[in-house]
Amino acid sequence: MKGFCWKRWSVVWIGVVMLVNVYPAKAGSPLNVYVVNYPLKYFAERIGGKHVRVFLPVPADVDPVYWTPKISDIGAYQQADLILLNGAGYAKWVSKVSLPRSKSVDTSRGFKDRHITVKETMTHSHGAEGEHAHEGLAFTTWLDLSLAAKQAEVIANALTRKRPQHKEQFMANYQSLEKDLLALDSRIKALVTPNHTVPIIFSHPVYEYFEKVYVLNGESVHWEPDEKPTPSQIAELNKIYETHQAKWMIWEGAPIKSAVNVLERMGIQSAVFDPCGNVPLDGDFLSVMRQNIANLEPVFR
Amino acid sequence: MHSFYLAWKYIIYNRIKTAVLVACVTLIAFLPFALQMLLEESERQLTSRAVSTPLVIGAKGSALDLVMNTLYFGDEHPEAISMEAVNRIWDSELALPIPVYTRFKARGFPIVGTSLDYFSFRNLDVATGRSLAVLGECVLGARAAEELDLQPGGALVSSPESLFDLAGVYPLKMKVVGILEKAHTSDDLAIFVDLKTAWVIQGLGHGHQDVTQLNDPTLVLERTESNVAATAKLYHYTEINEKNIGSFHFHGNMDVYPITAVIAVPNDEKSGTILQGRYLAKEETQQILRPAEVINGLLQNIFRIKNVIDAVVSVVALATIMAIILVFALSLRLRQREIETIFKIGCSRMTIAKLLAAEILIIVMTSATLCAIMLAIVGTFTNDLVRMLFIG
Repeated sequence: MKGFCWKRWSVVWIGVVMLVNVYPAKAGSPLNVYVVNYPLKYFAERIGGKHVRVFLPVPADVDPVYWTPKISDIGAYQQADLILLNGAGYAKWVSKVSLPRSKSVDTSRGFKDRHITVKETMTHSHGAEGEHAHEGLAFTTWLDLSLAAKQAEVIANALTRKRPQHKEQFMANYQSLEKDLLALDSRIKALVTPNHTVPIIFSHPVYEYFEKVYVLNGESVHWEPDEKPTPSQIAELNKIYETHQAKWMIWEGAPIKSAVNVLERMGIQSAVFDPCGNVPLDGDFLSVMRQNIANLEPVFR
Repeated sequence: MHSFYLAWKYIIYNRIKTAVLVACVTLIAFLPFALQMLLEESERQLTSRAVSTPLVIGAKGSALDLVMNTLYFGDEHPEAISMEAVNRIWDSELALPIPVYTRFKARGFPIVGTSLDYFSFRNLDVATGRSLAVLGECVLGARAAEELDLQPGGALVSSPESLFDLAGVYPLKMKVVGILEKAHTSDDLAIFVDLKTAWVIQGLGHGHQDVTQLNDPTLVLERTESNVAATAKLYHYTEINEKNIGSFHFHGNMDVYPITAVIAVPNDEKSGTILQGRYLAKEETQQILRPAEVINGLLQNIFRIKNVIDAVVSVVALATIMAIILVFALSLRLRQREIETIFKIGCSRMTIAKLLAAEILIIVMTSATLCAIMLAIVGTFTNDLVRMLFIG
């Protein structure tokens, strides 16, 4: 009889232990967060820590801004607990798919008034609409690191809404991230402000926020770092050079030798400032930005 | 048994008189029961959906039109409001806004432009296929799919708003990607699309060849250094697929794009009350409604009408019963000689009474059977009848 009771109590005890373990695990299970670019992934991971699992389903060799998701990818986004969007027209696919608004957070909506509008130079007209150009927004908002800090704050608030029990931790992590971002911002300001009028050329029109916040004197062309510039691209650069005699071109990634040679013949040197849209091969967002600042030193010294 | 045989023979002999009597009794019994069935069904349909929809926001105007259109996708379209109404609720953080845009139809069924949150809010699950994912796709309600005979993989073309709008927007060929499980609500008869797809149907978003890259001279009306004007020959895509989705774009500020209403799901009762308070200003161009209150008002009117109909039916029933009694009394007088003959050949007065009772019983039973059949038919179509009579 004694043995029977012992067995029965063991079963009850195991049941109680399982219940106690299973329920908190469910309530505290990490949030599945889907993002559209690496800066948001980095911010969400820094703020959410072990309470989040952040996914960026863009292949490593693809720029997330031009990525097109498959139906299965869209399904994964729809099933997420939280979808972090960059906003400002980043990733055109977002406007062509169905995502639940209840789970989506546009991290740049709060500073809509600071979005930069870019217009196609060529207008066109068809039908009754009359002459128009396809307007768009500059989307690399995080290159203004003060805006990046605002995006991080939106993420912290969104995570807090989903997991209010971890509010203190999220806020502490956010404050630490904000400090890092604003420290980088100060470093860039200290570097470029004394010589901000130095003419520079950007290899691609993705530095609008960077250019605006640090009041740079830049012009953009459409050169790819892994492609040899075509005669028309060189002609376009020559035309710009007539009025904008830059000594440096800022690239998104390390340019190929032939492109560097073409520039050097014109007396233009190359420096890399990686916008870091996708997951870097080495390091993280902060280390890439620190390297970017180091790369800019010869440009503004 | 003999009484029933003789009564039956008499009824068969007087077919027309019997048919008229049966019709009168049937109709008198059928009308109040059928009316009751329809009212119960309308109350069920209207109340359950209204109660499950906490708040509806739309342009100021008829509250009933706004609620009927938002909840049941009725034909009366309220004045459009803009997406700013959705953003306003979103920014308040008091409720989850779900936009609804019900301007268009496809083969007689309403196209409902909304967000994915609508499906989770209404607990609508996909029975076959998948949910909306990409621009140009649609998901069908269970009955809409049945009646249109469509399955995932099929296509459905939006109907032009006016046959004479030859210069208007091209209809959009939508890809059917899923069929919803039966919900026994208006959702069963709807065609759901993403809000952005509804705007493409309206022509606010479209896809066409890249005008700046045109080589065909017949497509270019004028080309200057800064502008290319295309001719009317420029091809606009009428279907969205993997190849052309990249060319689809929206013009202008999407915050001012139209919707018909917003369903607001407040975080809690207090948030709902605060939100309602924000629409009380006189200069406010939008109204916020609790659908349950609007539908209760409608039901009260319906029940008021029902009471009138009940009174009319009661008077008509009384008149008919009196007419039937008169018919039987006259019939007895006309049959006086026949009854005397039956009495003289040896039948008791009780037998004669049984004979007449059997005749009445046969007429009443026939009427009851007919009434039951008619009620069963009405029962099968109550859902549609209610939509036709009360929802529109």
